[in-house]
Amino acid sequence: MRGYALYLFKRLFQFCLVVFIGINVTYLITHATPIDPVEQTITAATAFGTTSPEAIAMMRRSLQDLYGTGGSGFDQWLAFWRRIVVGDFGPSLSAFPTPVSTLIRRALPWTAGLMLVATLLSWGLGNLLGGLAGYYRRNRLLKFAGIVAMGVHPVPYYIVAFVLLIIFGYLWPVLPITGAYAQGLQPGFSLEFAGSVIRHSLLPTASLVLVGIGGWFMGMRSLVSNVVTEDYTVYAELAGVRRRRILGAYVMRNALAPQVTGLAMTLGAIFNGAIITEQVFGYPGLGSLLVAAVHAGDYSLVIGVTTVSILAVSFAVLLVDVLYPLLDPRVQAR
Amino acid sequence: MGPILAVEGLKAYYQMRYFGTLREVRAVDDITLEIQRDEIYGLAGESSSGKSTLIKTIARAIRPPLNVVDGAVRFDFAGQGPRDIYTLSAPELAATRWRHLSYIMQGSMNVLNPVRRIRHSFVDFAFRHMSLPMPAFLRRVEEHLGHLSLRPDVLESFPHELSGGMRQRVTIALATVCRPDFIIADEPTTALDVVVQKGVLEMIRRLQREMGSSVLFVTHDMAVHANLTDRLGIMYAGRLVEEAPTRALFRQPLHPYTAHLIRSLPRIGDDTPRHGLEGRPPNLASPPPGCRFHPRCPLAMEVCQQTTPVMQELAPGHRVACHAAAQGILP
Repeated sequence: MRGYALYLFKRLFQFCLVVFIGINVTYLITHATPIDPVEQTITAATAFGTTSPEAIAMMRRSLQDLYGTGGSGFDQWLAFWRRIVVGDFGPSLSAFPTPVSTLIRRALPWTAGLMLVATLLSWGLGNLLGGLAGYYRRNRLLKFAGIVAMGVHPVPYYIVAFVLLIIFGYLWPVLPITGAYAQGLQPGFSLEFAGSVIRHSLLPTASLVLVGIGGWFMGMRSLVSNVVTEDYTVYAELAGVRRRRILGAYVMRNALAPQVTGLAMTLGAIFNGAIITEQVFGYPGLGSLLVAAVHAGDYSLVIGVTTVSILAVSFAVLLVDVLYPLLDPRVQAR
Repeated sequence: MGPILAVEGLKAYYQMRYFGTLREVRAVDDITLEIQRDEIYGLAGESSSGKSTLIKTIARAIRPPLNVVDGAVRFDFAGQGPRDIYTLSAPELAATRWRHLSYIMQGSMNVLNPVRRIRHSFVDFAFRHMSLPMPAFLRRVEEHLGHLSLRPDVLESFPHELSGGMRQRVTIALATVCRPDFIIADEPTTALDVVVQKGVLEMIRRLQREMGSSVLFVTHDMAVHANLTDRLGIMYAGRLVEEAPTRALFRQPLHPYTAHLIRSLPRIGDDTPRHGLEGRPPNLASPPPGCRFHPRCPLAMEVCQQTTPVMQELAPGHRVACHAAAQGILP
């Protein structure tokens, strides 16, 4: 147990280090852009009518305060970190004066909800079908499923998304093609709102699952086809252990470990995949926010979204490392 | 009651098709043998002599490309009458396995599920055969582990936490906890050092005496056979070439191949150098005509190259397939 505590401590330290480096890199890159948010805001604010030079100077001082761009480079960096640790990313430039954290808080649930459901669905379905296809290799239906999964898998995601959009949005218009819920609806815990959210999420989820399932399916099938020739599986079959038990506790259980690692990596990276999905289906999530921020040169918003993404990926990896010894008892906590 | 196992004219070939042409490897070719109740029957022979294929076929543990081409494997478990294992339905087979017929597999080191505690393996393998409630079942398992000098806490371990010898004993416990009538043991001691090996062999012997089961014991190690088995069958190139009570076989082997196997054993006080047998076992995809041993046989005659010798009982319980032995020429 002491060994595990030490391991945990080491992993936590690693986590902090990765997050620290990641955020610093983001900071460096965004600050290397020639856009000065203070001058931009001043230009925007003084575009109409004339403002006295004193007022502009005052405005500049308070804006520099707000954006933390005053003082030397090191002072700026310190100020940046002082604000980051309390979760304050400053005001958004493109949606001035709304704070970045408010924008992220508004967008995050949409992305997280959509991607979580889609990733878990494709992981669960892919592994289940792949496991069955690897174990019951003669089954026609599962063979067919394999062909479909392998056929869809290499098609670029945006093509699948657009094809779905065209089929269910225009040719047979049964599903909404844009937004997260029907316009004019009051967000809240009503049945009508929930139904609308689900209806709007069907197409993006379906596109993500359709493309995502193939990789899990093929991975699991080949993992399983290795496990079924292992001595312990052959022996259990020889002993007349029930097939269901063999499939679950012997075959799937042993093949699953690498897939769980894969799942965690994918869960951490859901923000990257969300960009195209949210663009195509007009979904108001982090991906749309990030693209808008980059177009507008809104670097505090870019830093904010990227930081959330870095935290999510690192945390997912940490979680896998912490939970892995539970999954495979042979993995010693080192 | 008759023998517990009667194998009749069993032929099992590995059949592979390459671009329409059938390639057959005759790993088990026309084998007939009987195993009595309450005996340990040994099966010996060098690698690729078909030992493992034979017992896989006997246990109906075959999967393509290995197919049974001809013959029957009749088991007669306590008063049920002989039945060919290949005519049993899937549920009948599942009910037979472990209750009547259990198997200690070759490479026993990897037969335990690495992510399952030993206790769960016992439940998976044996619980449905014992009409006991779970606590009583687990007590029975613990008691049985005690017979094999294993502490009850191995039940809570994972396989990787046990030593090789312990894992081997756990596997033997797993195969014997239901007190089966027939146990097939395929090289169960090959991977162990001699000290552990001796302990494991003694345990198998003791369990067999206590339960009155029959054991089919396979190993290429003639010393193990000399110490453990009651009767011994020698296989060469997919065929049974000699079969006799173990002591009689060691005292006077009739087949030249058996004589070589026995002579290769070191003996205390005997300093003469040991000679290996020239040549290699034949390719079973195209075995030599006549007696399959004739290219390596020091006693080979013209008839050996043309006709396949049949098993003949030359002494009570001592059968041999050899033209020379039939003419009274001893190796």
